Amino acid sequence: MKDGMEANRHNKTISLGFVSVRHHPVHGFFGGYLIVNSLARPLEFHCTLPVQPTRSQQILYGSTLCEFVCGEQIARALIAKAKGTPQFVFSDTCAVLTLRHMQSIPLAAIEFPLQTDGSLLRPNSQRTDYFRFKAGGKQFSVLPEFACDSESLKKLFDADKPPIDLLEPFGRIEEALMEANPATKVA
Amino acid sequence: MMSSEFLYPVMIDSDWFSSQLDVGFDFRMEEELACELAIPFTNEINAESLAFESLKVLPIQLSQSLPRTIGFAFPESPQWTAPAAKVFSKTADVSAGKIPSESTAHGDASDSPQSHKSLTRIRPPGDLVRLEDRLYYVLQPPLETIIQSAKLTFPFQPFPYQMEGIAFLFPREAAILADEMGLGKTMQAITAIRMLLLSGELSSVLLICPKPLVTNWMKEFRQWAPELPLAVIEGDSAKRNWIWTNPQAPVKIANYELMMRDRDVFESNALHFDLVVLDEAQRIKNRNSTTSEIVRSIPRTRSWALTGTPIENSVEDLVSIFEFLSPGYLRDDMHLKSLGNATRDFILRRTKDKVMTDMPPKLFRPAELELTGEQRASYKSAEEDGIVQLSKMGESITIHHVFELVLRLKQICNFDPATGASAKLERLEADLEEVAASGQKAIIFSQWVSTLEVLGERLAKYDPLFYHGGVASNKRDGVIEQFKNNPKNKVILMSYGAGAVGLNLQFCHYVFLFDRWWNPAVEDQAINRAHRLGVKQPVTVTRMMSLDTIEQRIHDVLEEKRELFNNLFSETGTPQNLGLNQKEIFGLFGLNVPKYIPKAA
Repeated sequence: MKDGMEANRHNKTISLGFVSVRHHPVHGFFGGYLIVNSLARPLEFHCTLPVQPTRSQQILYGSTLCEFVCGEQIARALIAKAKGTPQFVFSDTCAVLTLRHMQSIPLAAIEFPLQTDGSLLRPNSQRTDYFRFKAGGKQFSVLPEFACDSESLKKLFDADKPPIDLLEPFGRIEEALMEANPATKVA
Repeated sequence: MMSSEFLYPVMIDSDWFSSQLDVGFDFRMEEELACELAIPFTNEINAESLAFESLKVLPIQLSQSLPRTIGFAFPESPQWTAPAAKVFSKTADVSAGKIPSESTAHGDASDSPQSHKSLTRIRPPGDLVRLEDRLYYVLQPPLETIIQSAKLTFPFQPFPYQMEGIAFLFPREAAILADEMGLGKTMQAITAIRMLLLSGELSSVLLICPKPLVTNWMKEFRQWAPELPLAVIEGDSAKRNWIWTNPQAPVKIANYELMMRDRDVFESNALHFDLVVLDEAQRIKNRNSTTSEIVRSIPRTRSWALTGTPIENSVEDLVSIFEFLSPGYLRDDMHLKSLGNATRDFILRRTKDKVMTDMPPKLFRPAELELTGEQRASYKSAEEDGIVQLSKMGESITIHHVFELVLRLKQICNFDPATGASAKLERLEADLEEVAASGQKAIIFSQWVSTLEVLGERLAKYDPLFYHGGVASNKRDGVIEQFKNNPKNKVILMSYGAGAVGLNLQFCHYVFLFDRWWNPAVEDQAINRAHRLGVKQPVTVTRMMSLDTIEQRIHDVLEEKRELFNNLFSETGTPQNLGLNQKEIFGLFGLNVPKYIPKAA
């Protein structure tokens, strides 16, 4: 009983971050970062203006360009601007995971089989050596050098059930990105 | 790892080149990079021909700046107050009622991708301009998540279109929920109110409805939001004053009739409501009426209107409702198309055939009857005399004179005044035998209480019950309960005025319109007492009409208009219910409208 109450109290103070990057064939990359409370209600939202990698970046980063733009540029900028510090940050693309080198909040990418229907696409990472694990009935990936994040995540899901639906907030982020950048909406 | 600097060798030593750049770097890329960096590039450079000392390296600084961001914080971050917390428990006696069993918390927070298809998102209203305001709604969780996290329970799981209706109302300051009767406007409004109250976005709500529907609203609130205390504005002046100012009950229910007596309450501007909801909002279709003026004067932040017939007679009805929602937004002289465009974001209108594809159908069975011999003789005589008299009146004729004749003729279509003969009754008796034999019940509508009373006598074997203006309002709920529960009462006789709105009689599968109302919208409302959510079988509607009479002429005019408006509003989805205007009423007898007659209210 006491454990349950503890868990309940713990859930009420929890906040989670969701960072997503989308690619538009014309306008480039867009990033959004949503922090929600334990009831999935929004606390903060940050988004970037469209980012177009320069030709030099394309050449220099080659096959790692996606990780550079999504993780080191966009996600980094978003997390830096946020006032709140969530217990955990989730992403819907592994391309964002390089961000973990630059900030201390545990970070995992959720396996997200559905590609969006609209004009904004989820960028894919070329990297294949992620540390993959299951928690709360979902498949996650973290950077192998931060495999300890998997333990943090499992602790977060004490009851083997995430406090909120972890996929749904990404839909909100995508809609918010389109709202903030109307040119990306499908006609 | 982030690269911040790239050394571009202008004169290249082949060893250095191979050791420093581990990316696949061919000459094509090198050339492109040179262009990008605006450095002259030549492939004529021959490394072997250059001395090592001549190697020059230009450091190219890559930009360290991060992308620009826009940020929004939602500091109020409203917390859901779960009903179990019983925030309003101090006054919960007001809402004491049966708490429905926890049938479901809609939408398990299952995160299977498939479940996302059924999520209902709150969309920002079109009139919200600031990005921050729009994102506030875009970023709210889906209704199913809110319901789940707030542990809200419902007596039964709302239909998806009802969830859409709730999501439509939730963010709006001005809205008309104009669903066809029977689709659950009441439940949608109550749930939206409930969610807004529990989220702390509202704290005071005033709902105004016709007096006979107050008890129905209370019942629905108890069913759909049992934790919300209600206060019904009633009693003597002192009691009403106390209720108006009592902050304990977040939801107050008043009736239109009472608003006339309590108008002083609002003149002081001391009261302010976060939301005012008008049920059967067509009540304010005449914007010059006192009711409309009083309702518009209520200090409020949000204004919602619920009506199945936002247009009963003309588009002016809609303009009048908008005078409550957003004064001055619409004008009477607006073209239909621009009116449709201007109102699209404010009105949500669904019809049963669109959203309830699995709902049993309405089966219309026109009963086009020849008058009996006695009726025909009386009718002919009355019509001829009446027209002669009207013609003699010349310019002194008024619409009331025409109405009188219409009503007299319609009454003859029901019963012959001399003998009581009635072709309609003969048909009705035959049909009712079949209805009763199959264990079913029937609703019979008429516009006259006197007709209902005659029918009550002639149909005594079915133990008919009465529901009309002559039945005291505090007894009406009992009548409905008795009709629902007592198998002996096979028939209920209703007037259009009393029985057309707000009643749930979906256990009844036969509706008879003994005579026809002036406006198909009112008839539709009457029919939809039975054909509404929860109905298990098709509803058979028998519309009785006497051939070659005033009834047929009215019917033909209304059908013509219905067709015309179907065409006009097909693009906007605006409802198409229209009644007879002055010119058409005069036209029933081939008369012209006198020039000086003022426009009817």
